[in-house]
Amino acid sequence: MFELLKGMMKEEWRSHSTMFGSMMFAMFPVMIAVFAFAGSMLLPLFMTILSPEKIALLTHYIFVIFGLSVGAFGLSGREIMNRRFGQASLIAYSSRSLPVSERRIFMNFFVKDVIYYFSFWVIPFMAGLAFALPFISISLDYFMVFSTLSLSFLIGLSLMFLLSTLYAHSSRILVGLLVITGVPIILMSWYFGVDLPSSLPSFSLFVSRSWEDLAVSLFLIIIPSAVSLAFPKMDYPEKKRRYRNSLAGLSKKLDFAGNSHFISKDFIDMQRSEGGLGKIIFAFIFPVAFIWVLLFVFLKFVPIADFLLVFSILMGVLASSIYEWLTEFDVFTSYVFLPVRVSTLMKSKIKGYAIISLAPLAILVSTAAWLNQFSDLLISLITFLSVSSFALAVKIYLTGLYPNILLYNAKIFIVFLLLASPALLALIILSIFNPLYLLSSLVLIPTAFYIVKKSYAKWDNREQPSF
Amino acid sequence: MEYAIEAKNLVKKFGELRAVDGISLSIKKGELFGLLGPNGSGKTTTIKLLTGQLKPAEGEAKVMGVDVLKNPIRAKELVGIIPEQETPPSFLTAEEYLLFVCKIRKLKNAEKRCGKWLKFLEFEDQKDSLCKDLSRGTRQKLMFAQAFIHEPKLAFIDEPLINLDPVIQRKVKDFLQDFVKKGGSIFFSTHVLEIAEEICTRICIIDRGKIVYEGPIKDLKKKRQHLEELFLKMVKEA
Repeated sequence: MFELLKGMMKEEWRSHSTMFGSMMFAMFPVMIAVFAFAGSMLLPLFMTILSPEKIALLTHYIFVIFGLSVGAFGLSGREIMNRRFGQASLIAYSSRSLPVSERRIFMNFFVKDVIYYFSFWVIPFMAGLAFALPFISISLDYFMVFSTLSLSFLIGLSLMFLLSTLYAHSSRILVGLLVITGVPIILMSWYFGVDLPSSLPSFSLFVSRSWEDLAVSLFLIIIPSAVSLAFPKMDYPEKKRRYRNSLAGLSKKLDFAGNSHFISKDFIDMQRSEGGLGKIIFAFIFPVAFIWVLLFVFLKFVPIADFLLVFSILMGVLASSIYEWLTEFDVFTSYVFLPVRVSTLMKSKIKGYAIISLAPLAILVSTAAWLNQFSDLLISLITFLSVSSFALAVKIYLTGLYPNILLYNAKIFIVFLLLASPALLALIILSIFNPLYLLSSLVLIPTAFYIVKKSYAKWDNREQPSF
Repeated sequence: MEYAIEAKNLVKKFGELRAVDGISLSIKKGELFGLLGPNGSGKTTTIKLLTGQLKPAEGEAKVMGVDVLKNPIRAKELVGIIPEQETPPSFLTAEEYLLFVCKIRKLKNAEKRCGKWLKFLEFEDQKDSLCKDLSRGTRQKLMFAQAFIHEPKLAFIDEPLINLDPVIQRKVKDFLQDFVKKGGSIFFSTHVLEIAEEICTRICIIDRGKIVYEGPIKDLKKKRQHLEELFLKMVKEA
């Protein structure tokens, strides 16, 4: 009876452990627990800035978003999974060739996701919190926190399964339903003066401990899941798109950079893949906005450093994530039979990175304008460029063309943090003493060049893995 | 004698498995050489070793006089390779991919070359489709075109006809035979014996990474022996 579920669990484990290595992948929950522990230890500090209720609300939303993103993997991650493993090889698609119904497969898929991500993310997070509680003087009903955060995760997951199912049937139905339900809810909450964000049932349960909130939470989990299971569809609508040749024109425009055909190909990949450039902007703007708010609140209450300068340092690290996007749609197996060196691809991606980095630079200039702080603009730009180059160089050295895979290897991720964080901490501390000290960040640029040069030699001499 | 391909004692290990176990080969210019063997016998690994896609544990290889181990990029510049799995970048169109390959190979008259191959292999109507949306057969045509677009003197072809329709298969076979007549060399890997028997000038059978037979196809014809009989006998004995 549980053969299908067991098979899917094995498949999930093997698909990840093949890419990251069993040991390293198994270490990932440990890393989550360590981060959760560190975050929990900072709770007293956060409580000087935000009320406990606000922190609880934010944490519940983080778990909802986490549930949504786990569910969304089936939607956004299938491009990558299909390319790497092929649809035919995944159990989720076996209803095409084996006498198993889509409903049964989908049900097992749902249960597998709940068990798998609960074990790999939710439980380690809660373990980290549990280990931190004896060290911080906060009284907390641990069982209640565990229950309501789990419910938040499941609400997010169920909602995403419902949205995915609707999308699989028709994107119009999905948009229609979102408009039909979303608009009245927003209008009614505005009319009746309801605090919509605080109405999250799992959070309400945490606050009120009422049976009604428990019932609503369970309703929001069971109903979307039941609808998804009643109308399963594993095939997503695939449009066969046609495009006029835009490689030639784009290559010509980017000729000044050299290797323009590789850079153009990366830009075309990003534009034509699902979500287009929008998903990249969202994936970058959202964390930038998050850091902005966090830093703004933090420095307002603990005014030890300058917002613009610290923001430029943190954005430098964040900008290095652009490299993940530039490498996401490339596999070296596409080039291995052509006269192309790994280092040639790396060089072209660094050039593409430099071009896209104009966006964070613009954000930095806008921030300086908004703060009316042009006196520190030059220093913050230099700091951003230095930190961004250094973080990128370290990432390239450690992960080559595979940051999207190898950064999930716990060992490599920790090495990345150990190599990048001392320089960042040093710069933040220096900025507290005197903004001009940040000019010392310039030393990171030749260091980055040196690391990148070493990366070329390292990755050119390796047989490329075919992830 | 100048050889298109020379390999001495090539060995490739994957863990404990010796996928290629001491293979030595010499292929003359103007030969259409067929590498035959059952699934998993080491055909694709041999091609990858000969073209610098993999590094051997032991042995050496030269293609068109270039040491593959020392200068794999130069070797890939000189030859055309059709890999076993067609993996053109997903989000380029068929035409863009061919132009992309022309750019990589620094070729002049790229658009003319692309047009010629799109027409020859009869997939002009698919030139604006994304590579990920192409059928396997069309992707195979695309990979065939990219391998010959720079007019190499030597081509390595791994199972090139398996997804093509009979009309295009005939065209491709004629092209390959014409190519060797004009002095080009082909290293052709397949397990479809009829095709090898029809177009190859010399064959080699490998099993479990070792050569179990090597000889001209005309010898078989003289002995009135079928390639299938020989293949089954050799693989059984090995």
